[in-house]
Amino acid sequence: MSAAKVKMREKKLRNQPASVQYPSGSTQNGGDTSVTGSGGGDGPSTEKPKNPHQRSGWVRGHQRDGGGYVKEMPKYITAGAFARARAAEVSAMLKAVTKTTGSCHVFGALPKHMRRRAMSHNTKRLPRRLRDVANRMREKSLLAGSKKKKEQPKSKSRKARRRHGNLLLEFNRRQRKNVWLETHIWHAKRFHVVKKWGYCLGDRPTYKCYRPSYRAMSSHCLLQDLSYYCCIELQGEEQKLLASLSQLTSKEAGPTFAAALSLSGRRQGSVVVYKAGQYPSQPLGPVTFLWRPRMQGSTHRQLWIWAHPTIKKDLLPELQAVCQCYEAVVPPAVPVVTPAEVVPTLKTEPKPEKTSDCKQVTGIKRKRTCKDASGPPAKKILGDGTRSPTTPVTWRSSSAGIVINDLTMEIVRYRLIGPQSHSVLAETLEAATDCDEINKSQPSSLWWPDHCKDESKMNVHKQQADVYQILKGIYSTGELPSGAVLGLTVDDPRLTLPTKKVKALPCVKQAQEVDEENRRELMLRGVPEHCCQSYLWERSVRDNVTDNKISEQELNRMRSEVLVPGSRLSPTPLQGRVPILLVHQPGKQVGHEMSSWGAGWDLLLPKGWGMAFWVPLVYRGVRIGGLNMSLKHSQNKGAPHFPHDYPDCPAGIRFQEEQEAELLDKFKRRPPAKRTNYIKHGCLAPFRCPWQQLAEEWELIWREAGEERKGNSPIQTTTEAVEEEMTLHRDMTVTTPQSHFTVLRNIKSLRLLSGWCRPTTSKGQRPCRVGQLPPLDRLTATSFLTAHGMNLVWVRLSLLSKGKPELHAMVCVPTAEDLQLLKKRPGNRGPQEPPHRDHFKNRIKRRKRGPKKAAASSAKTEDKESDLPSVSEPDPKSSSASEPNSTTSKEPKSSSQSSSDLIFGLWPDPLPSVTSHCSRVTLGWVTQGDFSLSAGCGEALGFVSVVGLLDTLVNQPREHRGMFLLRNPASLHYRFAKINIEI
Amino acid sequence: MVRVKSRYLLCELNVSDRSSLLLLDDRAVAATVKAAVARIHGDYGAALCSIRFNVKYLNAHTGIVFLRFPKSCYRLLWSALPFITSVETRGQKIPCFLNCLHVGGTIRTCQKFLIRYNKQQLHRMLPTCKTKEEENQVRKAILNCSLTGGSREAFEDEFESDEDEEE
Repeated sequence: MSAAKVKMREKKLRNQPASVQYPSGSTQNGGDTSVTGSGGGDGPSTEKPKNPHQRSGWVRGHQRDGGGYVKEMPKYITAGAFARARAAEVSAMLKAVTKTTGSCHVFGALPKHMRRRAMSHNTKRLPRRLRDVANRMREKSLLAGSKKKKEQPKSKSRKARRRHGNLLLEFNRRQRKNVWLETHIWHAKRFHVVKKWGYCLGDRPTYKCYRPSYRAMSSHCLLQDLSYYCCIELQGEEQKLLASLSQLTSKEAGPTFAAALSLSGRRQGSVVVYKAGQYPSQPLGPVTFLWRPRMQGSTHRQLWIWAHPTIKKDLLPELQAVCQCYEAVVPPAVPVVTPAEVVPTLKTEPKPEKTSDCKQVTGIKRKRTCKDASGPPAKKILGDGTRSPTTPVTWRSSSAGIVINDLTMEIVRYRLIGPQSHSVLAETLEAATDCDEINKSQPSSLWWPDHCKDESKMNVHKQQADVYQILKGIYSTGELPSGAVLGLTVDDPRLTLPTKKVKALPCVKQAQEVDEENRRELMLRGVPEHCCQSYLWERSVRDNVTDNKISEQELNRMRSEVLVPGSRLSPTPLQGRVPILLVHQPGKQVGHEMSSWGAGWDLLLPKGWGMAFWVPLVYRGVRIGGLNMSLKHSQNKGAPHFPHDYPDCPAGIRFQEEQEAELLDKFKRRPPAKRTNYIKHGCLAPFRCPWQQLAEEWELIWREAGEERKGNSPIQTTTEAVEEEMTLHRDMTVTTPQSHFTVLRNIKSLRLLSGWCRPTTSKGQRPCRVGQLPPLDRLTATSFLTAHGMNLVWVRLSLLSKGKPELHAMVCVPTAEDLQLLKKRPGNRGPQEPPHRDHFKNRIKRRKRGPKKAAASSAKTEDKESDLPSVSEPDPKSSSASEPNSTTSKEPKSSSQSSSDLIFGLWPDPLPSVTSHCSRVTLGWVTQGDFSLSAGCGEALGFVSVVGLLDTLVNQPREHRGMFLLRNPASLHYRFAKINIEI
Repeated sequence: MVRVKSRYLLCELNVSDRSSLLLLDDRAVAATVKAAVARIHGDYGAALCSIRFNVKYLNAHTGIVFLRFPKSCYRLLWSALPFITSVETRGQKIPCFLNCLHVGGTIRTCQKFLIRYNKQQLHRMLPTCKTKEEENQVRKAILNCSLTGGSREAFEDEFESDEDEEE
């Protein structure tokens, strides 16, 4: 019987009378009495029958040497003893009868017909006399329950928790690890939120909208919050800035920071940044940048570099190194260029506080100091996920005069994608209205009245508003020059919020001659330079606008006071003028089809105004996309997406590791019998792409082929030969120090490659400029490859027939027979890979069958091995003997560990040759693959080895040049696909 | 209700010498009953008697015994009880016979009957007392028998004991 049962039984029988008898084995009878309370004997019966728990008198069962018993039996009995014995028995029986057995609840005391179910939880249902007892009992049981639950912390009432100040405190607490964007709460209600890169970001909506979102991108507008992108501001002399920044980029990879159009501030540029002076190797990642237009007669420039949060960690030290900005400036730097003499009078009060806070280092938490002390404590408008609050945000170099400013989370960035994004903007935003004379004359803490006083500024504003008006008449966003910038000051968009959601539509009808001319001008030339200026560049204006934002509550109050309900608020409150920047985002720039697909506008706002612009935009019928949609966007654009498609950048490598862990975890969650056996499918690495190994192997193959050619031997490209070579030279490749692979970003080389990949473009369009290229043969290829041996190249593959490429699908080289087959029957389904054998299955089985045996044997071997060196050694010193022991004992351990690492269906870690593992030679892998809604067929984007690509192209017949095979990791079926290098 | 049903026999052991009563123990009584049943009803009886037969309670001072029999066959077993003439315990043979006072379906009814019976006995004793002392003692015993405290005190006692256990 278990202890609990024993306890229960004891409880049940506690009140039951036990047999009263003398212990056996006492035969002599002497003495006078027993001490038993109930017992006979007239002597000193010390026991009181009232004490029912004294066990000495009433003992159940046999007790060999029952404590307290006197062995003697009485010789005679008296009437008194007789009576007493009866009385004791009666009392014992009474006790047994009155107290019920079993349940220890008070109900026992009640007769059955008086018991009610509700009594169990409501003690007031019990008769009065039992209530006290029941209450006490209840408390006890509650206590017992809480003991198990570990005393839950008492939470405040919901009302208290939802009170504004407390809510903000709670929000701040929840943002400690991952910072929220300004639209977080909006997103949290509608999106699956993921914690990434130090932020909480919406991944995908909870409702089904994959196709509607695509349709929005291609025909209307899709909105995204990109505020998590980090902005780094550089200030300094133009020449010095350019000189230091030129170390990070190279002209070979396209326009750099110094490109004339970008430098003027009229266009946003994008570059891939490398470590200083390391150009082809060690890239950091792609960034976009924006120069502030030149001021008259000043060489001082301002540059914003927008980078993904994962690059920032690498980029910022690099920038500091090239600019020699190591001096951390603790208080926030006052902008050096202050053309507008905006002296915020009210701002002076909080400012000293702020700086003093900053000196305490904690102040950079960016808690806005509240104007009135009675308000809720320190609302944190924003924070930053990429740095700790104590790190400085500004660095200055004494020598070059460059200031680096980390503006992360200072500027809100929204992206509108789609041809109608300009009409959405046009409907949402209105150019700021001028303020009347009275306001102009009065000194004000706000920036706009001051601004209105200046005639030249107002002129610029008017011109900007005109350009903005012209913009409304444009048919599609894609018609504008890519990267165009427009500075603007707009009214608070909350004032023109429609009562119902309406779909913004373009208004192209007002086509007057002058307008037409202007429009053409805008479309061809872009926005004139002086219109690209915006006061968003000024920190003081930004802060002023952020601080003076009208709260939602105040605005609603003002609205309620309007005479005609629902009419527009007039005059517009002075606070509602916001400087913004509109930056055009180029759409699809590469390839020939669907050009400028997915073009759009980026909306840059001062912080704090995020929700004020977000909701009005949403009310214009846009779709909202998350991270998932931005991946699809770049996929449809054919552009590599950061950090997924940058395997040579540190951030990309990190991402790949994370992705592998995630996929592996997902894979392991399935039972082994239900998993895909990737070994049988001939897929070496379904969860990651061993790019380095691929590049090395192809390099080796190329070198081998070159040597053989020198020896006049026929060129071998068949898989067997390759395999032989690989097996022969594997060790060598491993041992020789190899350079790290990189992605080919040299524009000229890419053009050359792209030309060689034709004549088969994705849709069979014949390009016009084939003739200009040098013809592809072995010589040119060799010369090309000497420069780009270890390179990968970004390619797009479109499937010829059915099939949907998946992540990490293999790009393979078709054999001559495959191409023959394709020639004969163009609708051919493609070759099959013979199933592979799983050699590891047995090992796993063996391990499973005899885990004990294996352990024993391994222990044995361990012992043996550990014995061996000690025997062989003369062991003069115990320490020297113990050392090899430890090393040898480690080895079998590690081997056993590796065997325990075996996962059913996956290759264990040292992979065999990746190129020649299957019947078709592997060229590379797909990093993004899906059914493309824009092309109407399966499309994949990925990397292939340059060497492998050229090697294949040279050997392919002209009509099938650029034809490759694609195979999903969980399939044996190869599909034909056309390769395309788009620049 | 669904349960295993039994009959409880409340018997009185009558002995010639009262002091020999103190020698009794429950195992001896059980063995005697079993032997008697076996003697009267043979193997069949012995088998029936071995199933759920039990001596639930024995008071060596008063000679009260509770016997439990299965309900299906208690009459058969009961019929063997008059044939018991002696109980062998601790090497002594005590001549005795069993007098069945009550047959109950639960042990509770037997207990209730026993209370009534004992009280009755004591009341009967009281007028036959010879000495003053005896009378006093019996009177005291009678007073003791009737519980006056009510059930509340009893519960409180129980609680205190519970709490002690917990600690």
